[in-house]
Amino acid sequence: MSQRYVIVHDENKCIGCQACSVACRSENNVPDGVSRLQVHIQGPFGEAPNLHFKYHRMSCQQCENAPCVTVCPTGAAYIGDDGIVSIKPEKCVGCMYCVAACPYKVRFMNPETKVADKCNFCKDTRLARGEQPACVDVCPTDALVFGDTNDNNSQVAKMLLQRANYQDSTHLGTKPRVYRIPTKKGGIVS
Amino acid sequence: MNNTWGDVAQYDPVTWNWIIAIYLFMAGLSAGSLLIGLGLRWWSNTDDKSESAILKAAALIAPVAICIGLACLVFDLTKPFHFWLILINYNFESVMAIGVAVLLFYIPLTFAYALMVLRDELAQWKLGFLTPIATMLLPWRKPIELVMFVLALGVGAYTGFLLSAMNAYPMLNTAVLPALFLVSGLSAGAAANTLVALLMFNSNGHEPHMKTMHGMELPVVFAEMTFIFMLFCALYFKGGAAAMALASLTTGVWAVVFWVGVVAIGFGIPLLSMLMPAHSRHTKGAMVTVACASLAGVLALRHFIIYAGQSYIS
Ligand code: SF4
Ligand code: SF4
Repeated sequence: MSQRYVIVHDENKCIGCQACSVACRSENNVPDGVSRLQVHIQGPFGEAPNLHFKYHRMSCQQCENAPCVTVCPTGAAYIGDDGIVSIKPEKCVGCMYCVAACPYKVRFMNPETKVADKCNFCKDTRLARGEQPACVDVCPTDALVFGDTNDNNSQVAKMLLQRANYQDSTHLGTKPRVYRIPTKKGGIVS
Repeated sequence: MNNTWGDVAQYDPVTWNWIIAIYLFMAGLSAGSLLIGLGLRWWSNTDDKSESAILKAAALIAPVAICIGLACLVFDLTKPFHFWLILINYNFESVMAIGVAVLLFYIPLTFAYALMVLRDELAQWKLGFLTPIATMLLPWRKPIELVMFVLALGVGAYTGFLLSAMNAYPMLNTAVLPALFLVSGLSAGAAANTLVALLMFNSNGHEPHMKTMHGMELPVVFAEMTFIFMLFCALYFKGGAAAMALASLTTGVWAVVFWVGVVAIGFGIPLLSMLMPAHSRHTKGAMVTVACASLAGVLALRHFIIYAGQSYIS
């Protein structure tokens, strides 16, 4: 694999406006009731008037060791040559094993196509045209950065070298490729 | 307050529902009754040429149970009419694909075996035209039994591996789950064999086979209880998210299912029945009641594992 695409979500810049979520829905024709992308808002934290929130991106983590791919009986869930985890609709029987096995619970059955669905970094549409994923393009605060970390000069490669960052549920060995830059302000989530 | 990010129903960690629990139960039952039937046949090694009522029951239950189970499974797919895709595409890293491959051999063999063992009944059931096939298969009986025994072990355990392969669920991702499913399949199989032998094949409950099978019940129940205990100990010692899953034993509807269904009905009734005086314990009514209790217990266990198991995520 020559590319290693990642998304970085800067939780300091995010304002939780859901523009990314709406853009994703329209770009990928995601039906109502299900989502490829949401930003969950936690909080408020701190003491008035200095309140702040935490923002958490819920979307496919593009695991390098993807449980959804391992469990899929037919090979419908697969990792492409570009390293992106995606789905071959014509091979999917709808057994939901992948939905159950995804530790991040971001996979769902598309009620219209009856096929498993999730974020694929807009691989077939915008990426194929050489554009950025819809969420990255639309973000008003530039909280999202997309790129190839195998390219040392890319913005994401530099960012991940310079900024403290974290990924979700790394203890499961999934090697997620959604990186998060934690908010500088704290907050206790009980 | 409404959230701004939309419907969150899809993030519910419980993906698989009771239909899958029934499938797991049926697959375990099919494998369990066959393993018991074959085991008893080899163990007792009688020269008696007629088939025992237990073996007849097992030969009937094995194909019927697995077919009911698979029907549940197929209609639970979001694309049930595309189920053939799973028969032509195999990802052998997937436990489900391995299971499909095993079932592909297992199911036809259970049908062939049913024909062989029930060859004398076929005419009664207006299936006399199948008798020639049964006679043709008879010389292959020994190898078919051997292969089927191995495949049945596979089917019984695979339903556990299917769940334990998902490492996000601490209660499912344990090493004992396949073993637990295999032994609880055995106990369901023994119960169903008793029921069918009593009710369909006119067993009087006092044949040597029946006695041997009842002798096995106690060790099987103890193995089941031990594995369940080990499962919860593993969660306790792992701590963190895994230990949180122990709450399933004390809170919510699945705690009730566990204590009432699995423990009181599934273990309690069969164990207490052993304290009854021999003559009343061996009446038909008592044996049917105990068998139904064991079956209900195993069914409850599958539901508990499916729902409670998926409710806790690490
Ligand atoms: S986040 Fe879920 S759907 Fe995405 S690659 Fe990982 S396991 Fe698959
Ligand atoms: S639902 Fe489709 S993609 Fe998911 S595991 Fe089943 S066949 Fe594979």
